[in-house]
Amino acid sequence: MTRAQQTLSIGLLVASVYMVAFLGLAPLPAVIQNELIPVLPIWAIVSFGAYLLFKLGYGVLTFNDVPEARAELMREIQEAREELKKKGVEVD
Amino acid sequence: MATKDKYSVLLPTYNERRNLPIITWLLERTFTANNLDWELIIIDDGSPDGTQDIAKQLITAYNTKSQQRIVLKPRAGKLGLGTAYVHGLQFAKGNFVIIMDADFSHHPKFLPKMIALQKEGNYDIVTGTRYAGDGGVYGWDLKRKLVSRGANLFADTVLRPGVSDLTGSFRLYKKDVLQKVITSTESKGYSFQMEMMVRAKAMGFKVAEVPISFVDRVYGDSKLGGEEIAEYLKGVLNLWMKV
Repeated sequence: MTRAQQTLSIGLLVASVYMVAFLGLAPLPAVIQNELIPVLPIWAIVSFGAYLLFKLGYGVLTFNDVPEARAELMREIQEAREELKKKGVEVD
Repeated sequence: MATKDKYSVLLPTYNERRNLPIITWLLERTFTANNLDWELIIIDDGSPDGTQDIAKQLITAYNTKSQQRIVLKPRAGKLGLGTAYVHGLQFAKGNFVIIMDADFSHHPKFLPKMIALQKEGNYDIVTGTRYAGDGGVYGWDLKRKLVSRGANLFADTVLRPGVSDLTGSFRLYKKDVLQKVITSTESKGYSFQMEMMVRAKAMGFKVAEVPISFVDRVYGDSKLGGEEIAEYLKGVLNLWMKV
């Protein structure tokens, strides 16, 4: 099963369950039927969008910069160049 | 231990004249210090800048009669990363294969950690991650970070791959695992590394991650244009449909 098939199958399942509720085919308390069910899709989309945006922002904010790694690398490159020259390898 | 482990590093190169000697030096130092049996297979795609001459100098400097540490297996021209690995794999004598970039963005100092982790859990693949643990990047501005996180988030949401760094190309594979995965891979470019990981997971291989620090573009500029981003998005959607 591909990821696409999996996603679409789950999507279809969720959509069917929702349609049952939306069309009033299942016995639900009035408040839920009239106030909650109609807005559920838009609420789900907005919440998901907000969640993704938060993950993105958080990811960028907590991005790990590693200046020490670069400093260490620069030193190693220096060392490498000296040793390589001794071994007869061209380093430019 | 009946057979000893040997690690073959596959290094596709194109115009890596400046980086090749240094990365070789770093590899030699790391493997020797950790008492590991290793070899380096340089797959040069007909570089016009004399990369192959440098490779030959390295061979003279590092190879002995008993230990042919460095092997040069060139090709006529730029034939793509995937086929470079397939080409190099034919000559790999080790039971483990390491793939990495030649421009020091992947530092050999992480190899002992990857090797140790592999042994711990007998993992089929160990991949370096820039996004988890104390992994990180040097040399990216805000825009680049945003693009990177965004791309990763997109791939993560669409593919739910179970690895934190999907486009990373610093990986340790069991040789037969790499062989199996690479034969089933079809994409090119960025998507290639992604596809290998997604397919490997789909095939049920065990994957572990080691945080790495990625120092971008010591020499030269980082290239990530609109076209590359578009290719990447297409690649992810393609994988979504195929795997």
